[in-house]
Parts: sequence; structure tokens; C-alpha cells
Amino acid sequence: MEVFINKTDSETTVRFVGRLDTPASADVFKALDPVINDASGTIILDCKEMSYISSSGLRIFLTLRKAASAKGGRIIVKDICNDIRQVFMMTGFLNLFEIQ
Amino acid sequence: MRFKELPTAIKQSARAGLGLVIVATLTLEATAIIQFAYSQKGIKEEASMRAQSEMEATKLKIIDIVDQTETAVRNSIWIASWCLNVPDSIKNITHRLVEDNPVIMGSTMAMVPGYLKKYPLFSPYSCINPETGEIELKTLATQEYDYPSQEWFTKPIEFDAGYWSEPYIDEGGGNVLMTTYSMPIHDEKGRIAAVLTADISLDWLTELVGNVQVYSSAYSLLFSRAGQIMVCPAESLIMKRSIVEMAAESKDSSTYGELSRAILSGSAGNQAINTNGSKKYVYYAPIERTGWSMSIVIPESEVFASIRRMGMMIKFLQILGIALIIVILWIFTKNQLKYKLLEENKEKMESELHIARSIQMSMLPNIFPPFPERHDIDMCADLVPAKEVGGDLYDFYIRDEKLYFCIGDVSGKGVPASLVMAVTRSLFRTVSGHEKSPQRIVTMMNDSMSDMNDNNMFVTFFCGVLDLATGHLRYCNAGHNAPLIFRDSIEMLPVVPNIPLGVIPGMTFQEQETDMHYDDALFLYTDGLSEAENIEHELFGEDRMKEVMSVRRYSQEHLKAMQKAVAEFVGEADQSDDLTMLFIHYLNAERPDSSERHLILHNDIQQIPQLADFVETIADEVKLDQSLVMSLNLALEEAVTNVILYAYPEGSDGLVEVEAILKPGSLEFILTDSGKPFDPTSVPDADVSLAAEDRKIGGLGIYLVRNIMDTVSYKREEGKNVLSMTKNV
Repeated sequence: MEVFINKTDSETTVRFVGRLDTPASADVFKALDPVINDASGTIILDCKEMSYISSSGLRIFLTLRKAASAKGGRIIVKDICNDIRQVFMMTGFLNLFEIQ
Repeated sequence: MRFKELPTAIKQSARAGLGLVIVATLTLEATAIIQFAYSQKGIKEEASMRAQSEMEATKLKIIDIVDQTETAVRNSIWIASWCLNVPDSIKNITHRLVEDNPVIMGSTMAMVPGYLKKYPLFSPYSCINPETGEIELKTLATQEYDYPSQEWFTKPIEFDAGYWSEPYIDEGGGNVLMTTYSMPIHDEKGRIAAVLTADISLDWLTELVGNVQVYSSAYSLLFSRAGQIMVCPAESLIMKRSIVEMAAESKDSSTYGELSRAILSGSAGNQAINTNGSKKYVYYAPIERTGWSMSIVIPESEVFASIRRMGMMIKFLQILGIALIIVILWIFTKNQLKYKLLEENKEKMESELHIARSIQMSMLPNIFPPFPERHDIDMCADLVPAKEVGGDLYDFYIRDEKLYFCIGDVSGKGVPASLVMAVTRSLFRTVSGHEKSPQRIVTMMNDSMSDMNDNNMFVTFFCGVLDLATGHLRYCNAGHNAPLIFRDSIEMLPVVPNIPLGVIPGMTFQEQETDMHYDDALFLYTDGLSEAENIEHELFGEDRMKEVMSVRRYSQEHLKAMQKAVAEFVGEADQSDDLTMLFIHYLNAERPDSSERHLILHNDIQQIPQLADFVETIADEVKLDQSLVMSLNLALEEAVTNVILYAYPEGSDGLVEVEAILKPGSLEFILTDSGKPFDPTSVPDADVSLAAEDRKIGGLGIYLVRNIMDTVSYKREEGKNVLSMTKNV
């Protein structure tokens, strides 16, 4: 899994590439630390190239979501594939995120 | 560093030794001085007592004679007064006095001049003729003698009492020292009419006083009332010198003068004086009635001769004692040094042995699990030498998908055994590097070891080659214990004993073979295990081994359980032999007819991708829909992650076994681990309808498993968690 963070004045884009499984989560969590700490703006989670997510990956999403709502930020999940959308549905995450 | 320490050690001991010698010397010296002081006092007292008692005894003898004389004279006074008017009979009185009293040499009755009208001077004198022994009659009333002016005559009249005259040399009577006792005689009117005398020779006195021998060089003196020497070892001084003259001549005149005054005044006592550079003690006492004074002179050197002798003896003993202490210290220091060197050598040897031990241990594969990337084999080994280094060995490695392994036990223990062990292990690696047959390996090792075996060391050895792909096991035994094999039950692997390595060169060993199946295991050990002794000298034995092994576990837990069992069994007893165990758990799932798939993972989260591959492979095989694959993957990852993260204590190695069973219409996954009991089905479902703020971070994994899989069931079986998950396909 690779994570690319692109921060502009108006928004922060996080691009996930690959499998967000348990071993990958720890590294991703670390990489997203600055984003979680500064979640007041708009954060776009680009999931176009994310092929897999496990519960630990979902946990990162939930952490971001909580940080954003605490600081008045906004999370947009973009381009999730059907399989992952199904996982989101299963876990009630569809209701927690703005999905585009 | 070590060499620098030695001289310091010597210096330290030498300093301590010197200190000890000085302390001992001072103590001895102080003791001697105290003892000397006390002894000196005692000896001085003793000398004084001896002198005084001698003087007392002598005095009594003198007084006895004096008494006799006085009594004789006194007894004659009465009759003499009767004879005053009969002058011719007076000679009879004096004659009787001399005749009756042996001590009396002569006697006279001298009339006061003019008392007798007929004889103005009258003094008949009876005395013993020294030559004949007869009593002669003389007269003292001669012009030359002038008796009325003599002391013996004037003094008793003057005092009107008995009087002892100053001693004098009687020239007429044979030059003997004499003294005279004279008593006045009164007539009926009470006037002094005459003086009756008795002369006594002082020869006996010289003898009596001179014979007083308190110490060999002590001597006695007798002084007259006037201080004249009456008795003295130097005869030339008798009646020629007085104590007053001697005192005046002495260098130490003040003490001498004091002494002479004390003696003349008739007192008793003692005084130390210096004459001719030597110190002398003078003891003196008066002899009453006579006015004489007796002295005993004892040279100080004489008094303290014994104590000086004793002092010399003590000095000698002291020197001897100190010499002895020095010798003992020297020997002690030398021994100490030797001991220190020995100790250092021992330390050095121990540290070398310690290094040897780590070298020996590093020769053996000691990282477990040894092949973490492989799922077809689960191995663990352990070697505990009885001493620092040991003669047991094991080894294993994989070459061309074959596991080459061995276990061995060198005869004996300690360093010699460890050297042979190292050689054996190297030989095994060298020979097995190009030989596939255990029989060939063992035979070649035996030849090579027999060749160089001058010390008749031998090695029991078991060598096996396991084809990991097929489970085919070829093995060859060389006198080693038969391993245990775990199949449906635990049995002894049938082995031909053969003979140990290094005994007979050219020996042909017999090879054997068997097949191992999935989950079969082989347990190899040395007699350090089977023959471990407890305090009652009972052996651990195969039955106990089998009992411990009867619970199916992964290799590492098996060894731990065995170690624990042996430790409990042995208890306080010393480990008698090297103890080695090797456990080989065969887990190859590639069985030809298999509809099961197996995966063994370690409790390491980084192994998750292997699980993904495993699921992928199975999905390929049954041609599952790609989205279903992802769901299955997710469910399995969640279940396995749960085990990896929570089943085993942190930092300890554990395994999780994944078994996939392909059935028509369904896929079953069974997760097995031997971690702490945990039933995921008992966890309440996460509430997914909550708002983000209320959602818990955890709990999603198990929720996902339950949602993805069609059935999930849990059981605890043989100390393991078994989670079965089925997905209808």
C-alpha cells in the first residue's frame, strides 16, 4: 500500500494505492498523522486505486472521520470500488461518509 | 592488568605481615616488661624477707649467748656481794663463772679503787689459757692496765647497770675479738663496790654472722655500738674501720651517711647504696641490749639474677616466636599467592569455557522457527550441556527440498567430548552436502572418524533425510536411541541399532525408510533426556516422554513442555548428562488426493500477505467470483489477525494453522491456535447504525467475519482454539 498526500489551500487529497490490509495499516496510520491532526479543512480520500480494505483500514477512516467532525472538517470518499462499497455498507460506513 | 595486580598483592600481604609482626613484637615486649616489673617487685620483697628472716634468726642466736652471759653474771652478783668483805674468795666466783659457762672466756671482779682498805686496786681475773684450756688466775690490778679507767669498768658504774663493752682485740688472750659484759655490785649500804665481768669471745659471732648466706655473693656485717666493724668478710677491716669512716670515704656519701646514721641509731630498715659502681641493697636491724647492729648486703645483680635469667629466656622465646610468625606469614603469603594464581587461572579457564560454549552453541542452528517462510515444516531443537561445554549435537538444514537432520551424543562429557562434537558436526555438514543417502552419510562419517580416533571416543548418531515434498523419510541409526514418531499414536521409530560412529572403520550401516504424513512428527533426543535422574536415581524414561508428548502441540511448545517435565522430575538433582531434543513436525499439505489445504502462520502480522496468497490460490482452484474472494480474504484476515494479535503473550512465538476444506457448495476454513482460550462468537455485534461520533474504533473485525461467512462456530479442543467458518459458494 502506498499513500500520497497532496495538500492545497482549499483541500487535502489522500490517494490510496493498493491493499489496505492489517500489516499496511500501521504505516498508513503513521503517514496520515499530519492529516488527522489538521482535519479542519476538506479532506478527499481518493480510493480509486485501493483494491482492498480490512477492519484496520476502516479504523483509519473512522479516526479521520472523528477528527474532522471534531474540528469542523469535511471528509469526502471518492471512487470506491464495488467490493469496498459493499464492506462500507456492511459496516454502516456508507452512512458515515460523504461518498462521491 | 592481571600481571600488574600481582606485585600489589604481594606488597599488600607483605605490609599486612609486617604490621602483624610489629604488633606481635610490641605485645610480647609489653607483656615481658609488665611481667618483669611485677617480678622485680616480688623478688625485691622476697630478698628483703629472706634478709630479714636471716637477721632475725641470727639475732636470736646472738641474744641467746648474750642472755646466757648476762644471766651467768647476774646470778653471781648475789654471791659476789657476799664476798665483798672476803677478797680472797672473790677468785672463786670468777673461777666458777668461767668454769660453769662455756661461752665465758674470762671473768674478773674489779673492786672500786679504795673500797678495800687492804688493796686499793683489786681485780682477780680468771681466764682460759687458749693453749692449755686450763683456767688460770691473773690479776688486772696492774699499773700498765689501769683497770679503773677501762670502759667495762667505768660504764656500768656510770649507768649503775649491766653494760656490754665495745668489742676489742684481746692481745693477752690470743688476739681474739672480745666483748665484756660487766655489772656493778652493791654492798649492803647500796654503794657500788665492785664490777663483775664476763668476757666472751666473738669468734662464734664471726662464724655465726659470717655464715649467713642469703645469696651466694651476699655478705653480712655486724657493727658495734660505735659503728666499728665486728664481723666482715674482709678480716683486715675488723675493728679497724667504722661505718662512719666508710660513709665518709664513699662517693655516694649522702645515702651512705643516711645509712650509717640509721644503723648507729639502732633502727631497722633497708637502703640501696652504690659502691664501686654497683648497686647494693643493705638490710639492717639492731641487736638489742648489745647495741650492735647487723647488716646484710646483697648486690642488686644477685637479687635480680634469676629475673635476669628469666628475662633472657623470655627474650629468646620472643625472638623465636617472632621468627616463627615471620616464617608462617611467609608460607601463608606464598600459599595465598599460589591460590590467587590458581583462582585467576580458574577464572581464565571459566571464561574460555564460556566462550567455547557460545562457539559450540553457535555451531548449531539456534534460531526458531528455523524456516519461517516454510509452512511444510515446523521444527524446534534444544541442547543443554551438563557442563559448560558438552558432547551432544544436532543439526539440520534444507537442501533441494530435503530436510537433512541429525542428532548425536559423544561418549563422555566436557571439553574432550565438545571437540569431538565439533568435528562430528562439521563432518555431517561436509558429507551430507553431497550425499543424499543417510546410510552413505553415516558410513562415510564413520570411516573418517574411526581413522583419527586415537582416544577411542565414539558417537551415537542418528541421521535422517526427509523429502519435504513427499514426506518420505530415509534414516540411518548409529547406536543412538530410537526416536519417537507421532502418527495416530506415539511409537518408537523402528531402528536397526548398528554401532556408534568411530568404533569400527569400514562398517556398513543399514538404512531404513518410512513415510511421514501431514501432522506427523518425529522426536529425537539423547539419553540425557531418557536417562535424566531424579534424586532417587530413577530415570525419566520413555513412558514419561510419551505422556508429555501425548498432547498435540507445535514443536516449540512440545519442547517447552518436555523441558518443564524434566526439570520437575529431576528436581534438586544435578543434571547428569547433556540433554538434547529435536522435534520435527511435518506439515506438508500437498497430498495428492487432498481436498484440504493447509497454511501455518507465525504470530507475526507481516505474514498476512501469505494468507491472502493462500486464499487467492484456493479461490483460483474453485474458480470463485473475484468479489467473493475479497470478502473471504477479509473474513480470514480478520480472524487470523485476531489470533496473531491477541492469542499469544506478547513477544512469544506462536502459530496459527489455517485449514481450507473444499466441499461441494461450500468452503470451510478452520483456524487452529494454541493460544489462550477465546471464543469470537461470544463477542456481541458492533452496532453499525451509530453515528460516527458514537462508533467504537474496534470490534469491526469479528463483525465482518460473522457478516461475510455463513456459519461461524468455535470450540476449545485439546488446548487449542478451533474456529470453523463456512461460506456457501
